[in-house]
Amino acid sequence: MLIGIDVGGTYTDGVVFDQGEVIATTKVPTDDSDIKSTVLQVLDKLLLQQDKSDITRIVLSTTVVTNLLATGKGERTALLLIPGYGLPADAYDISNDTFFLKGGIDFRGRELDPLDEKELGEVCNKIVAAGIKRAAIVSKFGNRNDILEKQAHDYIKKHYPQLSITMGSQISGKLNFPRRATTAYYTTITSQEWNHFVDEIDNALMERGLDCEVHILKADGGTLALQVSRDMPCETVFSGPAASTMGALALAQAGMNAVVLDIGGTTTDIALLLDGQPLYASKGASINQRYTHVNAFAVRSIALGGDSSITINAGQVEVEAYRRDVAACFGGKNATVTDAFNYKFNLNIGDPALSAAALQQLGDKQMSKEELSSAVFDIVTNRLQDAITSMFKEWENEPAYKVWEVINKRKFTPEKIIGIGAASRAIIPYLAETMQVNHLIHQYADVANALGAAVARPTLVVNLHVDTQTKTYTLDPGGVRGTLDNPRNYQLEDARQMAKKHLEEVGKERGMASYTDESSFFMEEQFNMIGGWDRTGKLFDVGIQVTPGFIAEFKGVKI
Amino acid sequence: MKPTGILFFPAFDWAISPTHPEREERLLYTRDQIFEEGIMDLPQIREYQPGLATDRDIARVHFCVPDVAAQITEAHLVSAGSALRIADAYMEGEIKNGFAIIRPPGHHSKTVSHGNRGFCNINNEAIMVEYLRQKYGIKRVAIVDTDVHHGDGTQEIYYNDPDVLFISFHQDGRTLYPGSGHMDELGGPLAYGTTINLPLAPRTTDTGILYALEHLIMPILEEFKPEVIVNSAGQDNHYSDPLADMRFSAQGYARLNEMLAPDIAVLEGGYSVQTALPYVNMGLIMAMAGIDYSNLREPDYVPERMRENPANLEYIEKMVRRQLQVFRQREEQIAKNRKTRERFHHIHKQIFYDTDYIHEDQSIQLRLCPECPGFRLIESTAQHRNGYYYRVYCVSIPANACASCQAEGHSCYTDMSSNDRYDLVYLQDRANDDYRSIDIKKDVEMVL
Repeated sequence: MLIGIDVGGTYTDGVVFDQGEVIATTKVPTDDSDIKSTVLQVLDKLLLQQDKSDITRIVLSTTVVTNLLATGKGERTALLLIPGYGLPADAYDISNDTFFLKGGIDFRGRELDPLDEKELGEVCNKIVAAGIKRAAIVSKFGNRNDILEKQAHDYIKKHYPQLSITMGSQISGKLNFPRRATTAYYTTITSQEWNHFVDEIDNALMERGLDCEVHILKADGGTLALQVSRDMPCETVFSGPAASTMGALALAQAGMNAVVLDIGGTTTDIALLLDGQPLYASKGASINQRYTHVNAFAVRSIALGGDSSITINAGQVEVEAYRRDVAACFGGKNATVTDAFNYKFNLNIGDPALSAAALQQLGDKQMSKEELSSAVFDIVTNRLQDAITSMFKEWENEPAYKVWEVINKRKFTPEKIIGIGAASRAIIPYLAETMQVNHLIHQYADVANALGAAVARPTLVVNLHVDTQTKTYTLDPGGVRGTLDNPRNYQLEDARQMAKKHLEEVGKERGMASYTDESSFFMEEQFNMIGGWDRTGKLFDVGIQVTPGFIAEFKGVKI
Repeated sequence: MKPTGILFFPAFDWAISPTHPEREERLLYTRDQIFEEGIMDLPQIREYQPGLATDRDIARVHFCVPDVAAQITEAHLVSAGSALRIADAYMEGEIKNGFAIIRPPGHHSKTVSHGNRGFCNINNEAIMVEYLRQKYGIKRVAIVDTDVHHGDGTQEIYYNDPDVLFISFHQDGRTLYPGSGHMDELGGPLAYGTTINLPLAPRTTDTGILYALEHLIMPILEEFKPEVIVNSAGQDNHYSDPLADMRFSAQGYARLNEMLAPDIAVLEGGYSVQTALPYVNMGLIMAMAGIDYSNLREPDYVPERMRENPANLEYIEKMVRRQLQVFRQREEQIAKNRKTRERFHHIHKQIFYDTDYIHEDQSIQLRLCPECPGFRLIESTAQHRNGYYYRVYCVSIPANACASCQAEGHSCYTDMSSNDRYDLVYLQDRANDDYRSIDIKKDVEMVL
């Protein structure tokens, strides 16, 4: 028996799923100031009718870190940057407590300039004097060589043991120094609060006598064991849209190109499935308008939902970006998008007479109910269609760096719209008809997000960079750096094996060994390095991953 | 403020040969540097996806022998197409300026293309300029070639076009490929003075190059008033370039682009793949985007070692004065040239394709038209690598040709259309955007 809980902005949903069927659901309002209690409230409600010993796995999708970052209430943290030459210092406007250190590493991982320990000591004095207890240290090309970060780390540990340090090279092995710095910084400022949350969940589960696997859903639609998540709080941002996308995937069960529309009360999240795989944000999750190295689905949110209220302004029908109340058909005070669709298509939602009355009252003498509901229909379908089209365009316009990528450029043609969320039933069938594509609204569409969380499997991405001339390799995650045994004869196959081995080792540490067999290589690059007219070495970049998917026991949903 | 457009197309799966300077690795470290800097994430930058050029885009500039497909790979279509993509973004007003960091390069490709010369098959800048003229009605363009090698292809393509100003500074042709670009190469009789060369002595530094920019190139641009300024942006004046011997730095390149303020820059050569390119490309992007570049430098850069020799600076000053004078007297000289009684101006030349080892023999007749820049007739022969000996006849009508030059050009094409002296007869009519050729033996006309 599986439990999935999805903490949303307004409501928190929970499901119990067993052998292809949802056997219990619950929904409570989210208390942003005390998410732990909301989660436990949902959990307790779900457990009411179940035998605790039957529960094998719980997956939480939470907004703890997302909220913390959005409200800027993270712990005060010093950001120590070693940028070397390049962009000016003002390009790194990440933390109010940013300090720049001497030192430099180049793209081959060669040390250009050393760290200045005297300078570092002075910086640490300032940090300590300001009462700051945490610091993140990130060097440009630290992913290729972490020597300066390590030296600074060791120096601080020795002389300022009260400071807790995060190193950028351990956060991500990918290129992009500002994103690495941002991710390291966000990780550090949320660390304490997140660990506190994990402790509380831990205790609560123990109190309830629950002894099962507990996972957190990540932005990339994969899960992470609760204990492992302690070191990477940032991975848990935007898990809500990830949960709904995974839910849609679980319900659709097909390797097609599709649009996932999660239409809630006031927002619609749009995601794309390409050949059945969710599309990722190419620049990583963007948090507070800053790009990060957190893998996340490409999700576009627009302020439009079933509860969005309707007004008439100078003869023009407008759909507002917020809700005043629930839909009139459910006893709300104003006409909403749901009411317009309810009336126009005779949907029989709630009390249809109330929808009609609300529209009548709003239209008054200016506009008939028919005109009003048709105008709302046009606005809603146009806005959704525009957003979908621009997402396709954005994907089609992604940069390409190889000839074959340009020659074999793909176009996206959606084969299906998958609707989830409470308001999708009213809107999706008519949007799909306008767009002339099929649609799917599963009977579990309202709880697809919690269901998606419940059945999602762990994910893991490993990146390897090998330089046979400097005889070094670096592996991510973990910022592992080592020396090659056989640089002369090193081939792509060796790189593949090395990456696979790391994936298996990390998989084992993270308790997901059973999934590492299902990994696939997503990047294999090799370059000859030429000096004069001879080959002086090779460079390899290999990436292997366990993509988002479902746990072994999930065999689909019964219709 | 509009962003700067960057189109980065490193062609990681294209090389002339595995150890050739034009190999997969060329822009690898540039990628590492610009990705690690995160410069593409900045609001001042907008990244663009590569595009594809069409055969027509190429035929607007080149006579490809025997046809376009024979002279290019898909990589060339993407590289040229990417220059067009950036040009579109600029013309549509999406960006304030744009830089196409693309390969393969193109500035050694001339009007007739029998093969690869100086790593180039087709001329990306010229294809872009003709596209701008055709699609957006642009008339006056300036191309400043900042590659260390003389941009002989671009120069040849625009040698008789008074509306395209071509300025090249480069390491003196007596010391470096392609051996041309001397002071006296100043344009054809009706386009005199809109080709300007500045052959610099080896080991010229930032000081020397920036002096020439400030005292020659900038004043000329100001007087010429181009609608679009293109930087044919080679990066091999750098002190570490393995194929040349100049002493320009990343700071120098950044300053150059800040002063020149090109609307569009297109990457050409530059083969110091680790020591120069990552930093020079960063410098160009930062300068074009208006980002402070004072913190940028190569790890091994020692300014003290890059002092300009006073004698060399004097030499540059002398050249600058002379070329500025030539430019300012161009209209009088053209008027004089027009008074000649000759109907056609004849030129005969031999062109060597170093990469493909092809010798081409060309004879050109330029109509000295009193009304327009005149059409050109080119007869060209060359033995290709496959052993086949091609003899072709080409008619090129400029975009602003007068009616009688258009008519006469067309009748030259028709007259030769069954002349079995030739393998192929071409018509390039830019005035009507009409490009065609006849395969004489097969008696088939191909219209692009």
